Amino acid sequence: MNDVFWLTLSAALAVGIPALATAWAQSKIGSSVAATLAEKPELSTTAILMIAIPETMVVLGFVVALVIMLQGGGG
Amino acid sequence: MILTMSRVRILGPRHRLSEMVGVLQDAGTVHLTRPSAEALHPVPESLHRDEESRLREALENVEATLEALPVQDVQPEIPDAISAEDLRRWEQLAERLRRRAEDLTGRARELERRAVDLDRFLDLFRRFGDLLPEEPGNDGVRSWFLVLRTGGSDSTDRLRGALEEKLGEGFELTVGEERGEGRAAVLRASGEAARGIDDVLSGAGVEEVGLPTRLPGGASLAGATDAMRERRSELRDKVQRLERERQGLAAEHGPGLLGVRLAIRDRLARIEALRTAARTDRAFVLEGWVPEEELDGLRQRIENDFGDAAALEKIATEKWRGEQAPVALSNPRIFRPFEAVTRMLPLPTYGSIDPTPYVAVFFPMFFGIILGDVAYGLTLGALAAWLHHRSDADSILRSVSEVAGACAAFTVVFGFVYGEFLGDLGHRVFGLEPLIFDREDALIPFLGLAVALGVVHVLIGFILGAVSSVRDEPREAVGRGLYALMVVLVAVALLAAVRILPGAFFTPAVVALLVAFPVLIIVEGVLAPVELISTLGNVLSYARIMALGTASVVMAVVANELVGTVGSALVGALFGLLFHLVNFALGVFGPTIHGLRLHYVEFFDKFYSPGGEQYRPFRHVRSEDRAAASLDT
Repeated sequence: MNDVFWLTLSAALAVGIPALATAWAQSKIGSSVAATLAEKPELSTTAILMIAIPETMVVLGFVVALVIMLQGGGG
Repeated sequence: MILTMSRVRILGPRHRLSEMVGVLQDAGTVHLTRPSAEALHPVPESLHRDEESRLREALENVEATLEALPVQDVQPEIPDAISAEDLRRWEQLAERLRRRAEDLTGRARELERRAVDLDRFLDLFRRFGDLLPEEPGNDGVRSWFLVLRTGGSDSTDRLRGALEEKLGEGFELTVGEERGEGRAAVLRASGEAARGIDDVLSGAGVEEVGLPTRLPGGASLAGATDAMRERRSELRDKVQRLERERQGLAAEHGPGLLGVRLAIRDRLARIEALRTAARTDRAFVLEGWVPEEELDGLRQRIENDFGDAAALEKIATEKWRGEQAPVALSNPRIFRPFEAVTRMLPLPTYGSIDPTPYVAVFFPMFFGIILGDVAYGLTLGALAAWLHHRSDADSILRSVSEVAGACAAFTVVFGFVYGEFLGDLGHRVFGLEPLIFDREDALIPFLGLAVALGVVHVLIGFILGAVSSVRDEPREAVGRGLYALMVVLVAVALLAAVRILPGAFFTPAVVALLVAFPVLIIVEGVLAPVELISTLGNVLSYARIMALGTASVVMAVVANELVGTVGSALVGALFGLLFHLVNFALGVFGPTIHGLRLHYVEFFDKFYSPGGEQYRPFRHVRSEDRAAASLDT
């Protein structure tokens, strides 16, 4: 296994794992939000925000992946 | 900004209360509240109760009629005044019109239902006709017209098997092709076999189509088909005639009904206003909020109509708390569309900061930095112009179109900054070069730009938080200031560490951080470190600007490369265009959601104080929107 393999795998994991976590969090929030909106449609802004909040994880994962690729010379 | 309000008290002779309420409604600037003085007697809720219930009954009646009539895009004819006699007349008219409209609608529905039934039978008749070599006669042979709904050829075989078992060879089954509702089939057998056949059919779950006992156009299927077609066309003509009559009623009486509805709502608003007053034996008192800039105009109006008999008094600011005052946002024209973004959250409290001007600058900027493409920007601009043209002034759609216009302008500007026109197509075709940097390659500078924007935005948030709390909560203001200082120090230390700033800055910045940290804990409590870490997380969250931007440009480049990879240039170009369209849709949706999120979560969190009450001046109800708003209160 050469360095490029490990670098690429690390970068993929850095963005992939938070992406899965985000997806899981969004699935939970999404179903709750759907139920909330059925009763209180006026909370739609809060609902959108709630869904967008976990995306920070994948954004940070993306930044880490980028740093790994660039610092490791893979970029 | 939030309009400065004055709390006012209006005093006058008791017998002229109703007249004063009329003057205030004409002025349309006072947000009425109940008087605060305890010694006063509030006007009883039962005042004008009879009139109110008559008005509400009439309103219900008129609204039900308007629902029954197709009244659209009609200018209401509002009567100047509405007497009890007028009200009775309008109620009678509304009831008559509603009955007529409901009758017309009911008849049209019934006729339409018959026409739809005929459609269905016509189709089946055509299919049965195809299956019958000769018309069914009276030769002792009976025909069953069937629809085989499920199971394809299997169900046909099963049915045939079951019939053979019951009747042997004594039947003839002709099955058509599968279409629409299923297969049409005609079964012919002797009349004596009817009972056995009925058992087989019900056992197999086959639907028998009950043909009319008397076929129009004689006994033949073909003749019946022609007669039914004619009948269907007659029915549709009648439906149209009934609909035209309904529309005629709406055109003739719609403006009057809409006008009387507004007049009733206007009168109801006045009764509600009367009930906010308080009285003594000889005088009345009304209290409310008026924008400071409207105060002189209101005073003048009262003086003109009442002279010395009534007085408007401004209640000193020390005698009321800011949280009680209603909130009216008032921003320069250029910022006003962005109030829609602020209004998506509960209004800010009176005395706090209206974030609209900051949203107006940063929201389209973030959007432009993310999307950053000349062609996408021009497309969005065209869509915004179209929406602007189609929307009514002061509507939410008009605000959306203007916000989209600002976003489009920033997208074009940043498109030139990055040198992007449909991704790298501009560079390939017109030789378009980036003015500052190419974000496809310069990932780290792009990330730096995004995080730097985060530092600036979060810092502004902290500064606004400090400014808004400096008068009432000085300790909190110091805390906000300290957070701002520490964000700056962390940024300076990091920049010095990576040699973007001179290395000499590093040590002083770290020392200052070490000094500021315990002070922060003293001022903000033991949870301050958690808040500080969360603030740094907030700053890093702005990296999404770069992440989404990079994703957008990479998608655009991929779309361009598709052109070369598909065999035919034309197919490739169409495929590429489709890909650009998808990217554009994602590129509009993503930055909007994330731009909003960066504002609501990262920025507003530092200073925004929600919970303000909307300023709702008591005024004439002259449009549907205002009517709805006045009924909400």
